[in-house]
Amino acid sequence: MRLEDEYRSLRHGAALSRMDHVGLVRVSGDDATEAVDAICSGDLWVRDGRMLQTLILGEPGQPVADVYVCPDDDACVLMFEGITTEELSACLAEYAQPELAIELEDLRPAYELISVNGPYAWEALSKWLTPDVIGLPYLSFYHFDRGTCFRAGKTGEYGYDLAVRSGYVERAWEELLALVGALGGGEASLETLDLCALENGFFSVRHASVEGLTPLELQLQWRVSARKRFPGAAAIEERRAKGMERRLTHFVAREGVESGDPIRDADGPVGQVTAAAFSPGIGGVAGMALLDLSVAHPGIDAFFVPGPNVERPIRTVSSPLLFNRSLLVDPHRRTYATRDETSDPPLWLGSLP
Amino acid sequence: MTTNLSDYVSSREAVLDRVRRMLRDTMKLRIEPEAIDPDVPLFGTGLGMDSVDAVELVVQLDAVFGLTLAGSPWVSAKLRTVNTIVDAILELGNET
Repeated sequence: MRLEDEYRSLRHGAALSRMDHVGLVRVSGDDATEAVDAICSGDLWVRDGRMLQTLILGEPGQPVADVYVCPDDDACVLMFEGITTEELSACLAEYAQPELAIELEDLRPAYELISVNGPYAWEALSKWLTPDVIGLPYLSFYHFDRGTCFRAGKTGEYGYDLAVRSGYVERAWEELLALVGALGGGEASLETLDLCALENGFFSVRHASVEGLTPLELQLQWRVSARKRFPGAAAIEERRAKGMERRLTHFVAREGVESGDPIRDADGPVGQVTAAAFSPGIGGVAGMALLDLSVAHPGIDAFFVPGPNVERPIRTVSSPLLFNRSLLVDPHRRTYATRDETSDPPLWLGSLP
Repeated sequence: MTTNLSDYVSSREAVLDRVRRMLRDTMKLRIEPEAIDPDVPLFGTGLGMDSVDAVELVVQLDAVFGLTLAGSPWVSAKLRTVNTIVDAILELGNET
């Protein structure tokens, strides 16, 4: 499937993806919550059945893993990107108190992860699982007979991650593919998921190098506790005391802008592109850049990416870049069959420089 | 930095600071306003606001900035992050 087709599936219907890049473990034992709390940057104040989006940081303060923590009875299920299960286990061994009683179980390959994203993803899931899934709040989960359904997603649309027992996963995939197909959708690759995350301003450990960057520059302070110690906390405090010099800022461009490109204004360098990709919804490039703090704001037209023959202007913009269709879809009032997109505003409300 | 750019950044930072303080007070957050990132999501993740907070926020934006969002079809687009609120307030200034 072409990226444009996958993109249309995800932004206008529903799209199915394999999540082989995501780790899944269960930390159990009397001290499971305390041990997980010791390695995560956020405060683990979350009820059973709800999910907390947090980070694991390296000692220099840079994110090494993007993590959902899901308290489940006396255990915590962790869904994570950026590190391996072995690295997560090593992190627990290094930072959790050795006397804590915990057991780590790798839920792979017993379970595989499939995701369904899109403004009508709820419709596919309500037919495949139960109509009750419509009422599942964002960042919550529940178990069903052959796995667990996590209401999450990093695309700005309705999103569900399904941990399905491996023996059942191929059948589940075929059934879900038929359901999303009836909703104008199909399969979406990791590349499309990453593009949609970029458009909506979701942090991804795969979007770009975060070397030397802390949650301060990455606009992820909300994932960092001000009350507890965790790996990388000292580096963040030091950075905060010293003063932040750059901040991640979103931008759009017509074409020809790539990750790593320098950004200048008439007086000199102001930053560097950290991630960029062509967005069918925008009709141009969507990107993120590290800009000098003094100019790290949306709404600026004064910057450009220099080239040998031509300067490519960029415009800084607010995140999220798109007016997601899911904001317009109330499952109780609008289904894929009854949709009428003629009166909907365009996905992208801005203009290109 | 050109004068125009400098003026724009100054006015944007002034509105950003006021919105951050308003959010901190509305949400009763025990953090410095600077710890509220401009692109932090208001709902779901990020600041974790709910529908009750949204009503209070709409009232505050009207009272403090004269930004009327109640009943607007664009309310969900304007209340996504701190920056989208700042955009809406600056657009309001440009219209008047």
